[in-house]
Amino acid sequence: MIQLLAALGTVLLLQDPVPLTLTQPRTIAIDEAFAEAAGLRVGDALTLSAKPGSEQSQGESVVVGAIFERSADPSEIARGDFKARLHLDQLQRISGYGDRVDRFAIATKPAADIGRVIERVNRQAFGFKAYRSRDIAVETSRTFLVVSRFHRAIGVITIVASSVFLLCIMVLKVEERRRDIAALRLMGISRASVIQSIVIEAGLVAVLGSLLGVVIGWLVSMFVNYHYQALYQTPLAFSILTVPIVVFAVSLSLVLGIAAGLAASWRLVRTPPLTLFGR
Amino acid sequence: MLAVLGVAVASAMLLDMVMLASGMRESFRELLMSRGFEIRLAPKGTLPFDTDASIADVAAVTATLRTNPDIEAISPVMGASIHVPVGGRNASSATLGIDPAVQGDYELIAGEDVNRPDALVANDYLIDQLRAKVGDTLDVATGYDAQTRGYTGQRKLVLSGRVRFIYGATQQPASAMRRETLESMVEPERRNRASLFMVRIRKGADAEQVRGWIAAELPNVTAISIATAIAQVDQRLSYFRQLAFILGAVSLFVGFLLVTTLVTVSVNERAGEIAVMRAIGVSRAHVVQQIVLEGVAISSAGALAGLALGLVTARYLNTILSAFPGLPMAIDFFLFQPRAAWSALGLLVLSGIAAGIYPAWRASSLPIAESLRREAIA
Repeated sequence: MIQLLAALGTVLLLQDPVPLTLTQPRTIAIDEAFAEAAGLRVGDALTLSAKPGSEQSQGESVVVGAIFERSADPSEIARGDFKARLHLDQLQRISGYGDRVDRFAIATKPAADIGRVIERVNRQAFGFKAYRSRDIAVETSRTFLVVSRFHRAIGVITIVASSVFLLCIMVLKVEERRRDIAALRLMGISRASVIQSIVIEAGLVAVLGSLLGVVIGWLVSMFVNYHYQALYQTPLAFSILTVPIVVFAVSLSLVLGIAAGLAASWRLVRTPPLTLFGR
Repeated sequence: MLAVLGVAVASAMLLDMVMLASGMRESFRELLMSRGFEIRLAPKGTLPFDTDASIADVAAVTATLRTNPDIEAISPVMGASIHVPVGGRNASSATLGIDPAVQGDYELIAGEDVNRPDALVANDYLIDQLRAKVGDTLDVATGYDAQTRGYTGQRKLVLSGRVRFIYGATQQPASAMRRETLESMVEPERRNRASLFMVRIRKGADAEQVRGWIAAELPNVTAISIATAIAQVDQRLSYFRQLAFILGAVSLFVGFLLVTTLVTVSVNERAGEIAVMRAIGVSRAHVVQQIVLEGVAISSAGALAGLALGLVTARYLNTILSAFPGLPMAIDFFLFQPRAAWSALGLLVLSGIAAGIYPAWRASSLPIAESLRREAIA
């Protein structure tokens, strides 16, 4: 609530900087997006109020003491909110919130048993409850679980589509060479050898294609991060390419390529060579 | 068959992306317009029910709004939480304090609306949790204070009706009562405040003009017309539109590539036949026509099959995205709009035409004698 009030509190921007009075105004920190949108710099004087539409005289004078970078918090994406940080007592006074806060953040010593700490706090708690930060993060990440599921579904559809295309192309390419294969069969080359050569070819194409795909994927991933970090003004990484992902993609591609090669070649070697010649 | 399947998959993906690109916006617009309220007022700098902030002095705001002749109806809405004891535990739900004469938040399914001060309406999720039925009297409390573990207000309310909340999220228990009833139960500092005002303007009035007037007259609120609401949702969900555009473009390109490859290989296979046709006098134009038609046939068959496949996959993907926390049930990400869908599929068929042009040109340019000799040797 306090953080939201800080973000939502109306800041009456002054057309001209107000000269600092003898009573030194306190400093606040604002985020980069806020600074950019409002054209503010460190040292600018502002009047702060929690009531929208307040007169300048009804607010409290502050000075921008710092401009901070937003944290990589997925829940802030696309909200378009601005953030400001005030001294706690000042915000409590301006908002009329009194001697209250929304939460305490507790850092434990490295050797501390967090479970026991939480248990002790909750046993003694009156009107509040302690949680692990990790559990809060999971709960507030439900939106991104939905997005992940959606991406996975799109990925599965893309893989199915790619498999169909691959099979299509493999069948066509193998069909093109049916006379060559018929000649080889008539010369005495076994079915197994024909299948082996086609499968190796398909596998090589799959590996080369997937390595090219990894390079393209890496470049696209970089562009996606660059674009969305600029769009949402966040340091959050939107796309991460990891070694397990690369290994999985190349392996899957190889399996699908071999399967497509097998399917295409099997179809061909089942047909008598003379039939392949068109006789 | 495989070729048509390949084009069908590309076509299905293209259709899904077209549906995704415009579905959210149109679905949201339909939702906002469903009750005829064109403008919403939220506390300054927020979206409706986005935060705990509220608008002060409901009476003064309503009086100000009434001075505009273009404003036909005003519906102030107060949001809170209620708690009802059920078998040793409490069932909690979001509740709305409304004026039943002008409310735009729910549709009555059974029973009566909140015509009496002690009436409460609820959706099926809450009624199931309460294990109650229409006509039951409930002990309803609100204003829970975690410090004192007490409530600011408690009273007995009669469950008068079953409703469906238009903006309700999936499986979210919700209820509504008269605004004055809820006001009498909350903390004194929350009285005479509203979380949201819904404003209906008279037919023919300019919503943007009224919105601008409200913004000037009431500086402590943010006035949101349907157009601005859609623009804000567009901004928040821009990722899906961009994804839709990129995947749609890739699907179209892949479909084009597939048809080009198919037709090119087909032309290469039939080089001898094409040479014979040319030798006996069939014109270049006719050869081109045949080959382009082949590409169109593959694309068209694939497009039609893709239409059915696309609707099935769209339904599946919509189910995934509908699980977004807090998203109104009525919002569809994938909305079938015939005009957009047929345009997309038409684009695919056009790409089939374009895909056939290069192989057709190659086929019509084949040297006849050379091709015939090669075929004879082969």
